Amino acid sequence: MGIKVLFFGSVTDITIVSELSREDCADTDTLEKELLKQFPALANKKYFLALNQQVIHENCPLKQGDIVALMPPFSGG
Amino acid sequence: MSSKKQHSIFYQGPIPAQKIADDIQKHSAKTNIGAHSIFLGQVRQDEKNGEKVVAIEYTAYELMVEEKMAVIREQFFEKYALTCMHIHHSLGRVAVGEICLFVFTSSAHRRDAIDACNEMVETIKKELPIWGKEICTNQSSVWKQNN
Repeated sequence: MGIKVLFFGSVTDITIVSELSREDCADTDTLEKELLKQFPALANKKYFLALNQQVIHENCPLKQGDIVALMPPFSGG
Repeated sequence: MSSKKQHSIFYQGPIPAQKIADDIQKHSAKTNIGAHSIFLGQVRQDEKNGEKVVAIEYTAYELMVEEKMAVIREQFFEKYALTCMHIHHSLGRVAVGEICLFVFTSSAHRRDAIDACNEMVETIKKELPIWGKEICTNQSSVWKQNN
């Protein structure tokens, strides 16, 4: 099942792919660290994290089947 | 209540003027309505790095938009005495001059429809995970920023 990571908007300019999956990851801080290693340009990027469609502002534990999204500021309308 | 039923807000491509007319017409059967308020967003020909914008390409985190909209709808129906509220936002490519956002609120008296419509436009821009990418004449692109 794993953990699904979704990328949106200008974040995809850096990641190129719009999603990837991780077999396992303890929490969102760890996931972010791993993603920064994989995509160093994310360090200069403004984005929010959502866990299962809810914006989060602090570290959250991850379990199988979770969906984490990296979202830059919204620009709909 | 059927007026609160949730539909996806997304519309593939530009929203045709005919759809807007048809949607207004459909409401003539709801005789408790005394006021409609409509907001239409149109893709503007901005200039980015000296290049003219020809279209905006919209993408969204659709599942999250759906979940957020369900909550927002509830809040709006609690706050305003609305008969109904319909929201349509484009996905994919919308050319300059075409309609990309259609907010349509109806109520017995004008104030609720007008205030809900205005607040909904601001809410959509601020709260919904939707992104616009401005495509320019030379095929370069710039991610849109909301003010």
